[in-house]
Amino acid sequence: MESSPRANFLEGRSLLTLVLVAAVGLSLVSVDWGGGLIHPGGMASAGRIFGSIFTPELSPNFLRIALDATWKTLTFAVAGVTLAVALGLPLGVVASGVLFREGRIRTISIVSARFLLAFLRSIHELVWAWLFVVAIGLSPMAAILALALPYSGILGRLYADFLNDVPQHPLAALRTSGASEFEVLAYGRVPMALPDMLSYTFYRFECGVRSAAILSFVGIQGLGYQIQLSLNDLIYDQVWTLMFFLVAVIVVSDVWSSFVRRNLTR
Amino acid sequence: MISYDPKTSVHTGSRLKISVPMASLLGFFVLATVSWASILLDGDSGFSDLFDSGTWSNVWDFIGQLFGRGLDRTPAFLDLSSWREALRLSLDTLAMSVVAIGFAAIAVLLTFLPAARNVAFGELSGNRSLVGAAAFHVMRGVFVFTRGVPELLWAMLIVFVLSPGILPGALALGLHNYGLLGKLSAEVVEDIDPRPARALRAAGASNLQMLLYGVLPQVLPQFLTYMLYRWEVIIRTTIVVGFVAAGGLGREFRLSMSWFQYDKVMLLLMCYLLLVLGVDLIAAWLRRLAR
Repeated sequence: MESSPRANFLEGRSLLTLVLVAAVGLSLVSVDWGGGLIHPGGMASAGRIFGSIFTPELSPNFLRIALDATWKTLTFAVAGVTLAVALGLPLGVVASGVLFREGRIRTISIVSARFLLAFLRSIHELVWAWLFVVAIGLSPMAAILALALPYSGILGRLYADFLNDVPQHPLAALRTSGASEFEVLAYGRVPMALPDMLSYTFYRFECGVRSAAILSFVGIQGLGYQIQLSLNDLIYDQVWTLMFFLVAVIVVSDVWSSFVRRNLTR
Repeated sequence: MISYDPKTSVHTGSRLKISVPMASLLGFFVLATVSWASILLDGDSGFSDLFDSGTWSNVWDFIGQLFGRGLDRTPAFLDLSSWREALRLSLDTLAMSVVAIGFAAIAVLLTFLPAARNVAFGELSGNRSLVGAAAFHVMRGVFVFTRGVPELLWAMLIVFVLSPGILPGALALGLHNYGLLGKLSAEVVEDIDPRPARALRAAGASNLQMLLYGVLPQVLPQFLTYMLYRWEVIIRTTIVVGFVAAGGLGREFRLSMSWFQYDKVMLLLMCYLLLVLGVDLIAAWLRRLAR
């Protein structure tokens, strides 16, 4: 990295600083700071909500509900991520263009697969969930598909990048010994890219747990659904119990996934 | 890649390192099987509906309605005034995302320091203190909690206090991303080269001077990369937070869904995709500037 002692004012980092400050400033102006920012009685309900942190509902009946909801959320997350891997892997292989060495088919397949992946991941899983609930009805399948589509977009794109970014010399060695591009993929690229692919998949699993919890917003069973029910009934003690379950399951998957990732990529 | 040497594995424990991912992988497969089994055996999983012709005619119906089939007026996505309104909402949504990342960034810049292990336990500054250790655990706990609660749930809680609009959405997004960026930023500080800070210390620099000249220059580029990456994620999430915080595109999306105005849903989705694409491009441009 070289740095000229006296860069022009509107260049590189100075311009960047200016843009960032201006963006935040302009956006702060666009927020309506006038009266009515806080609900009448808003502070009181804030006190009640955050006061309940210390008195979560711990009756055995409710704990059973919370555990059941946690399990549902976890199963949706796992099912969604496995389906996302199943969809993302073939799409990623096509998008990386490693199956063809050159030619127009290669360009077309890369561009169309990358476009499809970008489309899938541009739309948030909750929006997908809502669309699926309208299209196929309120069922676990709607949740799983809603998770799987955007996640396959993210996974596929990264799989493609990982498959492209492997060291080229071993591949050349395989080619000179007569391997087809498919064999180069199976015996060269995949084994070398596998640690990165697995590690990122585990990271998405961690995100999937979080996402599965909020999918409940459109009426799918799980932790988010229970939280919404308790919020609607203004039973904040229950809300916090469920929140703690949610944070716990997220922290456990977080710890598990970062443990696996540390061991994989070292 | 470290090559596997059976002779040294006993001492370094690298045999363990190889088996941990395998065990986790196995565990994940078991979890996946159990999950799919419990979903599919539950009866009303909706899996069998996927092979039902009724479902599919529903799906086609819905897609047709998205594209404005069977409408006695111009579909919203072909109507100029609807576009103007939707683009105004898109600007609101964009402002929400910028305020959100702004809040998160300012909060992180004020609090990342005690959460870094090497700062908290005095490896950089040379003086250990109980306060530092306590602050470390408190800050890490705050990061875990704020990022553990998803944006949407923060928004649902915040609208109990703040009036609906851009601000509660931005706050909810900011809180969640604060925890995320805080953790990432603290880890960046933990990975820095300690030598510049130590040299400054040896030359008699104060703690503030060490921070300004020894730490910040090393970590700020990485912080910026993470912030731009989170901004790209935030813009995708604004619509979801808008469902409950009633700001921007999300509110209109929710209303149009409840009134079955699927042509308008289509228009909003188009604006949403434009926003996502635009933010990706701007973030890429800013990243080039930073280089």
